[in-house]
Amino acid sequence: MAKLERLLNLTAALLHTERPLTAEQIRERIPGYPDDLVAFRRAFSRDKEDLREMGVPITMEDAYVSDTPIDGYRIRKGDYFLKDPDLEPDELAALHMAARAIQFDEGASSQALLKLGGLIGQDTGDADQPLAAMPGSPVLSDLFGALTDRRLVQFGYRDEVRHVEPQRIDFQRGRWYLTAWDLDRNAERNFRVDRMGDAVSLGEVGSATRRKMGTARWTQPWELGSDQPIVARVHIDADQAGSVPFEIGQEAVVERNGDGSVVVQLSVTNEAAFVTFVLSFLDHAEVLSPPELRDAVISWLKASAQGSQR
Amino acid sequence: MTNRDGRLTASARLERLLSIVPWVAAQDGVRLAEISQRFDYPEGRLLLDLEEIVFMVGVYPFSPDQLIEVMIDDGRVWIRYADFFGKSLRLTPDQALALVTAGSSLLAVPGAEPDGALARGLAKLAATLGLEDGVPVGVRLGGVDEPILATLRAAASENHELQIDYYSYGRDERSTRTIEPNRVFLEDGQWYVDAYCHKAQDIRVFRADRIRSTQLTGRTFVRNDEDPTNLRPSAGPIEVTLLLRPAGEWIASAYPCRASEMTEHGFKVTLGISAFAWLDRLLLQLGPAGQLLSIDGVAAPDRAAIMARKILERYRTNEG
Repeated sequence: MAKLERLLNLTAALLHTERPLTAEQIRERIPGYPDDLVAFRRAFSRDKEDLREMGVPITMEDAYVSDTPIDGYRIRKGDYFLKDPDLEPDELAALHMAARAIQFDEGASSQALLKLGGLIGQDTGDADQPLAAMPGSPVLSDLFGALTDRRLVQFGYRDEVRHVEPQRIDFQRGRWYLTAWDLDRNAERNFRVDRMGDAVSLGEVGSATRRKMGTARWTQPWELGSDQPIVARVHIDADQAGSVPFEIGQEAVVERNGDGSVVVQLSVTNEAAFVTFVLSFLDHAEVLSPPELRDAVISWLKASAQGSQR
Repeated sequence: MTNRDGRLTASARLERLLSIVPWVAAQDGVRLAEISQRFDYPEGRLLLDLEEIVFMVGVYPFSPDQLIEVMIDDGRVWIRYADFFGKSLRLTPDQALALVTAGSSLLAVPGAEPDGALARGLAKLAATLGLEDGVPVGVRLGGVDEPILATLRAAASENHELQIDYYSYGRDERSTRTIEPNRVFLEDGQWYVDAYCHKAQDIRVFRADRIRSTQLTGRTFVRNDEDPTNLRPSAGPIEVTLLLRPAGEWIASAYPCRASEMTEHGFKVTLGISAFAWLDRLLLQLGPAGQLLSIDGVAAPDRAAIMARKILERYRTNEG
């Protein structure tokens, strides 16, 4: 008897049953298991492992068949059944196209599409090279699962253990960020996902609250500080203006000049980081206001201009 | 998912069958060929698996009314009595994330329709994942002038030579170059074109947001399929030696150093760089925490001071 058939029958039995089935009942009712008890236990435990690896949610609880608790198994339909988004064919085809154009986790996106109705709208022409490659991360799917299931998340970050309620995930400036409610600080915080290490621990389903938060924003180096926020206006020359949307964000641009140069407006809470940022443009940027930030750049430059005999 | 010879593995078949059964059961007869295409399941294998395996699946006591009914007639398939497989298996977090990321990323590409089928599909998917307020995954890709991106893509697919006005960040200079665009792509959120550059006489990778303008030269080129060069700036051929004060010692761990030595004046490191503008930025950022000693073994001018005076000149010119 094929293992495939046995696994299908096992899944069917566990989904069908109202009460948890004991290993003994499974051995009796599912064709294809070896008669030998030791061999059965080994085969059954491998089958459970295989199914769980696929994401089949097998629960273990008391089967209530005797006075002493005996492990019973079943699959709750509510845990197993896909909540079907009932995608229209054009929507399914569009998601399929996206999965082909974006190189991210192709295996997982195809598996998702198979569950949602299959791979449709595939053009039969030669496969184009993907349009974009998005970097992955070992903890991103855990964070996403925590978001959908409202789970608390705990991780190490800058030598400290953080406890947060995840709210959203953003990809910006080439990196993944988590926006979350930090329970220890009682405030919204952004975290770089690549600094969380290789593992995060998740709390129970429903242990986190979803909060209304502002739209996604990410923290720039000049915002990482506790100075009083100061609004700075910086003129950036035309040759360098092209990269502003990527480095700073389009919404920071408050003025566009005929020569292609732009003026950006930034909220600064870390003066040193702001000076470094402005100087990265060399002589292609200039702080217009306020005077104190303009002076901060000038005095830093004056110190450098005096030469190395310092 | 597939073996080396292109056949489906047992677990890939199981995964697919768990989706195929409810999908077919919900329709009134589907062509075998369509199932095969939709679920990426070779037709011969699918026929065998439906007839010999799915047909045997059911629940205890496996009386005829407890078995799935599979009927295949004239190339069409009907499935009945498979209520225990009423729906596909729900998405695992990595599967949901993969699809949501792909969709959100493609929506962030210039030219995407914000209210099109992709956006609608994503919104529906988010709702069933328990995300009432929409997709909580935002993707912001590098800004790029849409007409420039369109020109680059068209030129790459039609082998048109282009003249571009390009700003090189590393060298801090602008130049006009003739390029043969090979491929336009996004990496780490930023648009690039890799192209054969006539000026460099080699393959170069250009960041699209640093291209100020493009112009077709009217010539076409013959594509050669060389591997694109590595994107990452590698250590360059120019050797610079810096003296670092404690506040500047992070340099030694941030960049690959060829040599380092603790002296009585500070920490001495040697780096390989490829462009001086890069060095000037670093020196300005270091300020008093670092000092340039030599370039390629020769005592170097105080580049930081020279650059600082140049920038100060700009501030002086525009002083209220």
